[in-house]
Amino acid sequence: MNCPRCGKSMITLEIKEVEIDYCLSCHGIWLDNGELELLLRDAKRKEKLLQSFLLTSVPGEKPLKCPVCHKKMLQVMVKKVLLDKCRHGHGLWFDNDELQKILEMGDFDPDNTIKKHLTEIFNNKEAKGE
Amino acid sequence: MWELIQTNRRRSIVLFIGMGLSLLLLGFFIGEAFWGSDGWIAGMSIAFLIWLIMSAVSYFSGDAIVLAMSHAKRVTPEIHPRLFNVVEEMKIAANLPTMPKVYIIPDIAPNAFATGRNPETSSVVVTAGLLEKLDRDELQGVIAHEVSHITNRDILFMTFSAVILGSIVFLSHIFLRSLWFGGGRRSSSRSSSKGGGQLQLIMMLIAILLAVLAPIMAQLLYFAISRKREYLADASAIRLTRYPEGLASALEKIAASDINLESANKATAGLFIVNPLIKKGQRLTALTSTHPPVLERIKILRSIAGGANYADYQRAYSSLKQGTETRTSIIPPSGIQDTKKIELTKPGKREITAESSRRKLDDLIRTLNDFVFLQCTCGLKIKIPPDLKVNNISCPRCGRILEIPLSQLQRIKSRWKADKATNA
Amino acid sequence: MGILLILIGLIILFVLIFIGIYNSLVQLRNRVRNSWAQIDVQLKRRHDLIPNLVETAKGYMKHERTTFESITKARSEAMSAQSVGEKARAESNLNGAMSKFFLVVENYPELKANQNFLAVQEELTSTENKIAFARQNYNDQVLFFNNKIQMFPSNIVATMFNFKTSEYFELESATEREVPKVDFTS
Repeated sequence: MNCPRCGKSMITLEIKEVEIDYCLSCHGIWLDNGELELLLRDAKRKEKLLQSFLLTSVPGEKPLKCPVCHKKMLQVMVKKVLLDKCRHGHGLWFDNDELQKILEMGDFDPDNTIKKHLTEIFNNKEAKGE
Repeated sequence: MWELIQTNRRRSIVLFIGMGLSLLLLGFFIGEAFWGSDGWIAGMSIAFLIWLIMSAVSYFSGDAIVLAMSHAKRVTPEIHPRLFNVVEEMKIAANLPTMPKVYIIPDIAPNAFATGRNPETSSVVVTAGLLEKLDRDELQGVIAHEVSHITNRDILFMTFSAVILGSIVFLSHIFLRSLWFGGGRRSSSRSSSKGGGQLQLIMMLIAILLAVLAPIMAQLLYFAISRKREYLADASAIRLTRYPEGLASALEKIAASDINLESANKATAGLFIVNPLIKKGQRLTALTSTHPPVLERIKILRSIAGGANYADYQRAYSSLKQGTETRTSIIPPSGIQDTKKIELTKPGKREITAESSRRKLDDLIRTLNDFVFLQCTCGLKIKIPPDLKVNNISCPRCGRILEIPLSQLQRIKSRWKADKATNA
Repeated sequence: MGILLILIGLIILFVLIFIGIYNSLVQLRNRVRNSWAQIDVQLKRRHDLIPNLVETAKGYMKHERTTFESITKARSEAMSAQSVGEKARAESNLNGAMSKFFLVVENYPELKANQNFLAVQEELTSTENKIAFARQNYNDQVLFFNNKIQMFPSNIVATMFNFKTSEYFELESATEREVPKVDFTS
């Protein structure tokens, strides 16, 4: 799968049975539909979360294309963070800075499962030995 | 079972000649349509040439073509030890002279087929989805069915048909396309030769008609004979495994799947154990020309009692078809006369598919696509696609530098070698 | 003169039949040997796999010394067995010991989840299946060969050249007739 931002091939990271796709050059993250469901442990909760995102459009910014179906993605606003969501439900895209914002934010999704998982991978002091 | 093998040889020859004749006919009319009254000579000679080349190609490398069409990948035992074990078990049971080559299609839809020229050069193909969905007994049932196609000499005929059907569909496609785009040019040439105009128009209509009909006819010819083969391969499979429930529940699982096999097409559909082109939700009951309804095959398998030889299967078949087709014999006479008692195996413990099987399936598909797998000491698993050429990678979680292990590169290299050995 | 020719002709005919019978006896005997070789390969493989399995299991099963001892004993007996009959008996005993072992494994869920153990277990299951399928084939060949030895006129040739009937490879008790199923993932 190729990064929607810079077009490079992404690597896959797996921890605790959940996978994310990660771009080595721009540090963006793709969360697949199935993985979202695995994280939230329920298809309905996933739908609810995705529906709760507000549609927006930022003038001047070109919409990214979904790495699965290559169709233009929708821009959505989640608590002041702008994300890209595939209109056919293939997944969610976080740019590098968006990810940082979410990690610093108080709460992102209802139970913070997504945030917890991302923190587990990218902001894990224990693993870094700091 | 020698008369079965004999019949299959005869059918292959009939198919070979039948296909040749219909090609010649097609060439005749297309030639007339394109090049006027003497065009049939050119049309027929081209058709004859195509027929010769096609036959030679499908005999010598039909299996390679079918394998390439279905995006099958040759695998080494390390990639899936259980699959290799089961194939070897069936090789021993069926007394095959050599071990069939083993392929996996990186697709999540469950299905399987066999191809090759004869028992010495045969291949068994399964999808990644099949391996993840079936337990050991079920997999054994499916492999036994495929190995039976090899021992019953079905594979040459099936492969041959797939290649020829594929090329007829392809050729008539090209013809119809060129007609569509080249229409204007010909109409001007027709006005210059007034007399032949009408005849040419008729010829052209016939050519179009044939180009549309030929693939359908070819398909009919091909499918008309392959339903019996499926029953027979089921019967032979039970004779090998002595455990009908394994195949029965495998068929049930394959038919219940609502995922479409992407690499299957009209030409290759007849090869598979369950027709992959039926719309989802209908696989169990649908009666297609290639395959008997799966539900019926399952019912027959489940009503087998007393033993695992051919007569036992025929009895189960007849009792199911009571009244309608009782007399129809699925098994050739020499099979029925083989009365040696074969005990059925009692069911063992059933495995329950693990929860993380979806992850295992994805990883198997990645392995087939030559991904490199790394496990960082911090617990993160990293999966690197083959087009990302790096020697080391920094773990995004803990920052450790991880080298790409040599063993993985060797795994990929040995798979490539196996792939190359097929094409040679 | 005519009688002599007929006599010579008859002698030649007999010699030809004789050679034909002898050759087919040799051919059948070779088939029996080949199919036996197939079983033998798998039996050896099984004997090689068992120590691996035991080694992996020992770490988890600390208090099952008797189980391990009976496996080791049955295995070494099976390895030293010579004739087909002896081997059949020893393999039956080994089967018994292995089924007991796998019954005990049921009590160790951690062992059952161990990847190494699962891999060896798959190899063992497969090897046992292969033995079962190869056995069927061997017994079929033995049946053909023994029939030929006992039936007229081939029995004459067989006694002259000392062809002896082969032994069937039968696993004894009815419960162990089947390949023990070693699936414990459920």
